[in-house]
Formats: sequence, C-alpha cells, structure tokens
Amino acid sequence: MNKLESPFILVDPERCVGCHTCELACAAAHTAAGSIIGAVLAGERLHRRNRVVQVGTVKLATQCRQCEDAPCVRVCPTGATYRTETYTAVDQRLCIGCRLCVMVCPFGVIHLGKTEVAGREKSAAFKCDLCIDRLAGPACVEACPTKALSLRYPAEVIREATQVTARQFLDALESQKRLSSNP
Amino acid sequence: MAYSEKILGRSIDPTVHDMLARAEQQGLETAWDRYEAMLPQCGFGELGVCCRNCNMGPCRISPFEEEGPKLGVCGATADIIVARNLLRMIAAGAAAHSDHGRDIAHTLLLTAEGKGGGYEIKDEAKLEALAGEYGIPTEGRSKEEIALDLAKAAYAEFGKQEGPIQFTRRAPAKRVELWQKMGIDPRGIDREIVEIMHRTHIGVDNDPVNLVLQGLRASISDGWGGSMVATELSDVLFGTPTPTHSEANLGVLEADQVNVVVHGHEPILSEMIVAAAKDPEMVKLAEKYGAKGINVAGVCCTGNEVLMRHGIPLCGNFLQQELAIMTGAVEAMIVDVQCIFPALGALAGCYHTKFISTSPKAKFPGATHIEFHEEEAYDIAKKIVRTAVENYRFRKPGQLYIPDEKSACMVGFSVEAIVSALGGTLDPLLDAVRSGAIKGIAGVVGCNNVKIQHDYGHVNLVRELIKQDVLVVTTGCNAIACAKAGLLLPEAAEQAGEGLKGVCKALGVPPVLHMGSCVDISRILVACAAIANALGVDISDLPVAGAAPEWMSEKAVSIGAYVVSSGIFTVLGTVPPVLGSPAVTELLTKGANDVVGAAFAVEPDPFKGAQLMVDHIMEKRAALGI
Repeated sequence: MNKLESPFILVDPERCVGCHTCELACAAAHTAAGSIIGAVLAGERLHRRNRVVQVGTVKLATQCRQCEDAPCVRVCPTGATYRTETYTAVDQRLCIGCRLCVMVCPFGVIHLGKTEVAGREKSAAFKCDLCIDRLAGPACVEACPTKALSLRYPAEVIREATQVTARQFLDALESQKRLSSNP
Repeated sequence: MAYSEKILGRSIDPTVHDMLARAEQQGLETAWDRYEAMLPQCGFGELGVCCRNCNMGPCRISPFEEEGPKLGVCGATADIIVARNLLRMIAAGAAAHSDHGRDIAHTLLLTAEGKGGGYEIKDEAKLEALAGEYGIPTEGRSKEEIALDLAKAAYAEFGKQEGPIQFTRRAPAKRVELWQKMGIDPRGIDREIVEIMHRTHIGVDNDPVNLVLQGLRASISDGWGGSMVATELSDVLFGTPTPTHSEANLGVLEADQVNVVVHGHEPILSEMIVAAAKDPEMVKLAEKYGAKGINVAGVCCTGNEVLMRHGIPLCGNFLQQELAIMTGAVEAMIVDVQCIFPALGALAGCYHTKFISTSPKAKFPGATHIEFHEEEAYDIAKKIVRTAVENYRFRKPGQLYIPDEKSACMVGFSVEAIVSALGGTLDPLLDAVRSGAIKGIAGVVGCNNVKIQHDYGHVNLVRELIKQDVLVVTTGCNAIACAKAGLLLPEAAEQAGEGLKGVCKALGVPPVLHMGSCVDISRILVACAAIANALGVDISDLPVAGAAPEWMSEKAVSIGAYVVSSGIFTVLGTVPPVLGSPAVTELLTKGANDVVGAAFAVEPDPFKGAQLMVDHIMEKRAALGI
C-alpha cells in the first residue's frame, strides 16, 4: 500500500444519522481542555473542522479530502496553508485571513473563524488536519456512534472497490457461460 | 490481589475492585463498561441544547461561535431550550419523590380504614404532632380516626389548587415571605409539576428566568411537600428512627443463609419483607433447605429506610447493585421503584438469583413480577420471601463469592433522635456552633455516577469537611458511602477537627449523622428551619451548606433546586446539562443569590468542593457575628 499518499476520512452515508457528534468531537479534540464541557467551563472557543450536511434525505459528514495537488496550498500567499507527505494543514500564526483558500476549495470545507494566536485575537482559516498530533487518530472517527466514518488510504479503498467490481464482473461472466451452455 | 488501573480507577471501594475483577474474568458487563462504550457522550446533550419538545425538531443549537443554527425551528434560543430541559428534569424528580409520598399517604389511609394488610400506626406521638399541624382534632379520638383525617389531608396536598402546602409553613416566616414575594410559594404538589409540562410545551413560556422560577416552585413542592409527606407519614407508620447499629458493604451477605436483597426506594414493601423474613414459618422453611436463616440486606434508599428503623444491613449503594448479584449469594433481588438498572434482569439470568419486580409502575426485562398491593401486604411479602427461600437450593456453589469487607455503622439520626441525643433541646448544638467548636453544618447527599470514581467524591468531601470542624448530615447513597468508609461511627470523631471531635465524644455520636433516604433530605430542611427559628434568622443566614458530589438522577436536580430555594448554598460534583446557556448558568450560580439568597457551584474535585463549602460557612458566621 502506498503510505505516501494522504489518508483521508471516508464517510458511509448509509450509516450517518446526522447526529453531529463528529463535529463536537472535532472541536473538543482541538481545545486545551479536550472536552466540550471542559472547554465551555474554561471559556475556550469551539471550532469544528468538519460539517454534517443534508442532501435531499441523505445525511453525511464532510471534511477536507487531503487533496494531493491541493488548491488551498497553491493559492496561499503567506505559506500558512501547507502540505506534508500525508496531510494538509494551516499554520494559523502565518494565516492572514485572506479567504483565498476558502474560495478555491471545491469541497467548501475550509472556513474562517476567530482564534487567539500569541495573545492576539485574529481571524484565521480552519481545516481538518486529520488530528495529526492525536495518538488515537482522528477524533471524529473515534466518536462516530454508528461507525460511519473511517480513516482510509486511497490504495486500500481502490483495492476494496476493485475487489467488489471484479467479483461482479466474474459473476456476470459465470452467468453468461451458464446461459450459453444451457440455452 | 493486584488490580488493573482501569479497575482501581472505577471505585475506591475494595469490594468493587474485587467484584469487577471477577466480572472481567467471567465476561460480565457492568455500568462502567456500558459507560465506556457510550463515550464520547453527545456534546449537545451535555450542554443541554437539544430540544425534542415538538416534531418540527429535533433541534439543537450550535455551540460554535460563528456558524451553525443559533435558534430552534420555533425560534427558541439556547437559553430557552436549556431552561426548558432543566425544568423537565425538575418535574421528573419532583414527580418521583412526590409519588413516593403519595404511596405512603395511600398506605396510611388504608391502614386507618383497617384495610392495610399488616401495617399499623407505630408512632402515635408523631401522629398527634402532625394532626396538630393540620388542625385535626385528637381529643378522645382513636389513632385510626386521627390517621384517617391526616391521610386525607396529606392526600389533598397533591391536588391542591391554591395552596398553601401545610409543611411549607415549617420554613421560617422570612423564607415563606420571600417565596411569596418571588411568586414561588407552591400551590399544590401535582399542580406545579403539571404546570412545568405545560410551560415547556412548544410556544408557552419562553423566558428563561420565568421558567427557572417555576422550576424552583415545583422543587419546593417536592422538598417541603411530597418528600416531607413521605418522611413524616413513614415515621407514623413505621416508627421514627432512633440511633441503632448495623453494617454496610457486600460482606454483609451471608454464605450460609438465604440472602434477600431489597432495592429501590419506598419503605412500604421493604418493611413487610423484613417482617416476613422473621416469620417462624419462613425461617423453618429456610432451615429445611439447609440455610441457617434469612438475611435481609438493602441497596439504595429502600435499604436506608429499613436500616434506619430496623438496623437491616446494607449491601452497598447505587453502583453496587449489579455487584450484589455477582456474589452468587443473592436468592432474590426485590425491587420497587427508582434507580433500578434494567440491566439486572439479564445479569440475574447468569445466576440463580430471582429478580423480582413488585410495583405496577415499574416492570423490568428478565424480572419475575409479583405485584404488591398494600391490602394484602404481609401475604404478598411472605410469598416473595418464600420464593427466595425456595431458590436457596438452586444456588451454584462455583459462583458463590462474597467479599470479606464490611464496616460497622451507627445510624438512625432523625431530627427527633438528634434533639434527644442533645438532651431534649437544640441548645447544645447551637452553643457548639456559636463557640466555633462546630463551624457549621453540611448536608451531603446524592447518588453515585460512573463519571466520578465511585465513592471518591462522597468520602473525600465528607472527610475534608469533618476535618475542618463541619458537622455532616447525610442521606441516600452518600450515607451508604460514608457507612462503608467507617465514617458513621463515634470513633470516626478521631478524623474530625478538635472542636467537632470534642462535641462528638461528649455526645457519643459520629461526626457524620445518617438521616435517612433521599426523601429524608426533608429532615435536613426541618432541622435547618428549627435552627433558623431558634436564632431568629432565615435559613440563608445560617452557616450551612449542601453538596451532591456524585449526583446523576433527575431527583437530584429537584433536590438541588429545593435546597437552593430554601436558602442553602449547594456544590454539585458533576456538571448539570446547562452550560449551553450562559444566561441559565449565570442565574443558577450567581443570580439565584438575589432571588432566594443561595446559589449553586460546580466543583468535581471533592477537596476544592469542601473548601467552597467551608468558605461559605465562614462568611455566614462572620455575617452573624459569631
């Protein structure tokens, strides 16, 4: 498996019930307190990096797809938005809140919010960083009560998909053979 | 045995470590495991910002600053939703306590009519005193005639429309005037609960302050109404508790006896179970099956009721209910209402234990239902005890495991018993408070909660308070935690500060006084009212404080609300679901001071919680000039 390709968070819309638990887990994981109640008690700001949306009757969580050729990284004038081998993220110290990344993101999963950097309040971009500093992995994946979210590697997803479609192809061939031998 | 950190982190009680290790070996699940599987719990629920009161919803208010919905579909703000949800918790809690009170009044009524299947009026002095309060004539009347009028008068409190609820007038006159001025003097017990359900319906009361005031009014109808009716009429029927000795923790179960565990809240059933277990016919039957006797033990507040009046030992508190069954020594776990895990049915299925539900209001999966009716109380109790005795022979020896630990305890401190221990008057206590030997009095009560290490909050808060010369009065699962920790013994005075130690030694009482079950928090209110009246001040002027270090139930929310409404500063050990509303949080923790002269504080650390209480007590002492 090519581990150098960015993993990403995959949502199974059939399992997502739209409870927004992933949003709160995301916000909690990015606070010093580490919990919603703790953060509210301490007066910390809560920011989600993901968003649960509804399309027709289907609910699903959306977040950064960790693009390999990320437009947000290409357009950032200050180098605040950057890419490593396995994820993209924002360095809020460098961010000037110009919204270019928000404009070019085709998935609408970057937003601007108020934050405090080095004792100064400012607006900066927020996006999913795959909870890269978190030992247990992305908080949203861990929190999802219906297991609709998973952290996946593209190669793994491709292998699973090809297994499924290849099996369908073989089944089709098999039934064709049976039909032609027993007309 | 060395236990894993996971097990040690769940409780401070060695019997719990012991039983959880066995549960792990046997693949049995407990509340702690189910809690872990539930994590992370819903943040909207934790903040109290989810509303399901109408079917345009469910709605939830975004806790994120810049984005997400800030209004429900109807336009309700986080403040409105949080206040409405809090009110519904109070309504449920007040309903539970008050329905318990109604059941006791019903039993008194049947007993007075000669239809009570084995109940008698045990405390005539209290009967007459209560009749006096209600203006019921007693001269030349039989106790049954008086009791009939008293039961009807108590019954009427529930359906009253315009008040006042008689027992609320036990509060100091200043307190009653304040309630009237603020519009929170309750009109009737049921009415206030119904009005909460009305006001929290979509499109009715949408003012957080107005809502919370109604919550306080309903809670007063619980503390000074339903709960007080439960306590007082239970005393008339079953006797007012007096100091007695017993034991607590899983070690009270007997390997060679039939163990009958009563769990739940009301004394109506457990009193009869205790009587039926002493029936010579039942004892003989037990011997026939090879048992050396019948051992009744309690869990939760029905356990506290029979502990206070008969010295029946306690298996443990709320979080030990599953562990009692896991000893394999329990022939029957008999339950009535409140705080009973529906998980018990499946667990009992792994053992020979019969899980017997008795209340028409409370049925459980996996339970055998033997419905209890007061009219045939003794006969049904006997039938239940017989079922337990006949189950003894099915005990599986390989499953039998009873931890050794149990602690002795001295219990039974009703207000009457405290006054009597003081020599017939409150003066010695008031003198001790004035002199500073006792700095103040703390009521520490409430449940267990898997969110806090079991008993850690209870025991440490109480230890810290007595160390600083604060006399502790306790009820409910805190009382059981204290009993297990040896704090309900006169010898525990050694752990108290010099002043409190001296007072306890002089009187021969523990520094922590067990006043009963959770409805018996009404006894604490009566004591506070008596002290305030003796000093000619309001309850909010007294050097007293309250705490619920491990609370979890809706009843606890109602209790907290009536304790604060009565003017007593209260520390909560777990965070109530109100943080989603800055306005309601501010009202409960600060604004309430201007309304009822007391407020809440939230402090999960028991040592810091104790300090908040002591600081409050010292402030009140300074204001009183003592």
